[in-house]
Amino acid sequence: MSKSDSLGFGLGLRSEYYQQILEQRPAVDWFEIISENYMVGGGKALYFLDAIKEQYPLVMHGVSLSIGGSHEIDADYLRQLKNLADRVQPRWVADHLCWSRGSAHQLHDLLPLPFTQKSLLHVASRVRLVQDVLQRPLVLENVSAYVQWKTSCMSESQFLAELSSLTGCELLLDVNNVYVSSKNQGFDPWQFIMELPQDRIRQIHLAGHSDYGHYLIDTHDQPIADPVWALYSKTLSYLGATATLIERDDHFPPFDELLAELSKARSISANALRAAAPCA
Amino acid sequence: MRLSAQQEALERYLTTGDTVIPPELLEQIQGSNTLPAADGLMIYQNAYRVRLLSVMREDFPALHRWMGDESFAQLAMAYISTWPSRNFSLRWLGEKLPEFIRGYIAEPQRSPMIELATLEWAFTLAFDAPDAVPLSLGVMSRFSADDWVNLRVYLTPSVRWLQLQYNTVGMWVAAKAEADIPAVVTLSAPLDCLVWRHELVCQYRTLEPDEASALRLLSDGGSFASMCENLVGQHGEQAPLRAATWLKQWVGEGLLQRR
Repeated sequence: MSKSDSLGFGLGLRSEYYQQILEQRPAVDWFEIISENYMVGGGKALYFLDAIKEQYPLVMHGVSLSIGGSHEIDADYLRQLKNLADRVQPRWVADHLCWSRGSAHQLHDLLPLPFTQKSLLHVASRVRLVQDVLQRPLVLENVSAYVQWKTSCMSESQFLAELSSLTGCELLLDVNNVYVSSKNQGFDPWQFIMELPQDRIRQIHLAGHSDYGHYLIDTHDQPIADPVWALYSKTLSYLGATATLIERDDHFPPFDELLAELSKARSISANALRAAAPCA
Repeated sequence: MRLSAQQEALERYLTTGDTVIPPELLEQIQGSNTLPAADGLMIYQNAYRVRLLSVMREDFPALHRWMGDESFAQLAMAYISTWPSRNFSLRWLGEKLPEFIRGYIAEPQRSPMIELATLEWAFTLAFDAPDAVPLSLGVMSRFSADDWVNLRVYLTPSVRWLQLQYNTVGMWVAAKAEADIPAVVTLSAPLDCLVWRHELVCQYRTLEPDEASALRLLSDGGSFASMCENLVGQHGEQAPLRAATWLKQWVGEGLLQRR
């Protein structure tokens, strides 16, 4: 993977903005889709997906793979994921380092794993299986967490680094998630980022969170907070140019507000890269 | 504790909604000074409940408005504990709600509630049903005489055909308009109602009995001629005109595709 693969600056594709995107062709470099929203028979979602993929590069981002689950990977889900990837031809396919399916329930949440050697080997075997089906590296994202398992013997970032080394999977660094988890669990967000293998980070996520005083919740319904912007800037100085995406999943603002946030990301990125460049 | 046991312990806590955290789970969990373990677990439990309730409200807005927030939440949570989400997509969460109401709610509310929930779910099904190429007026205008003789149709895949016993459509319309929902009225005869998607937008309309019979005959594979013959008893020599007018309307509405 080389940095020249960076797609630039993208937004999460949400139905609220379909029409505007097609009519106005906004200056967004790429869009990221929530994979599950397009695993349907037909209708509006697939219509706009097909139309927008003619105009913009797309990336697939799933929430239901349950790569860390203790039950078998859902074969039907994986088949649909592969079919969707064949239709969309995305630049990459991502999901989360988490589990979301239990023995009797789909939990529809990104639940944390115990970061142990045993779970590392378990997740690695599942990543290999998924990559074999998709015929491409899987990209995995760090999640916002509100608890940790006591049995963990390494950090989430160390786990991701090991997993990438074992399987060749790539990483999606969610800077907001790092910040949220660091506040909730009391760790150094910068150390987290430094523990990740620079050359495996395919993409960055930025999003807003809600501040409840002594803890934060990753709500994706707010503008990006200043400390997250600061962490993003520092991260880019370290990583170099990296595909960056802004997620918004609720309290949808006028599209122009998201474009303004995207401009801010471009500007912060340009400044960080300029400052990090060696003097001529 | 094995990974599967850890995950099952957390799964049980999230889905039972118990306010007391089982000690065998709590002792596995590490909190922090800012967010103790019990508070962190409660965030996950609350998120589970809020997320599923929110989907139920979105999928059954009229039922929600009719019942009120508290009663609807009670129904939805009882439903979810009986029919937990088993599909990776939350889009299917509400699939069994009409069936659940049948065993959970007593008459006289039961039947109108089932009907309203069924109508709302029909919209969900129509919204993302498989695409089809409907028969169009343009294609029909180029029909040869043989085409008319051989014409056989299906309903397009998004069409849901309901038979209503109550003023459910009126209740649904009022809820959509955020108006007062009328009292339940039992209709003098069952009313046919179609819900479908045309050009990406969900549609609905009710049918008079003779139109419903004609559409049923045609979409079951009957010919246009047989539909005309069937209408002669009621419409006399106007039957072919009546049949042609309906066919034009059904085609214009995107209800039919060729077999």
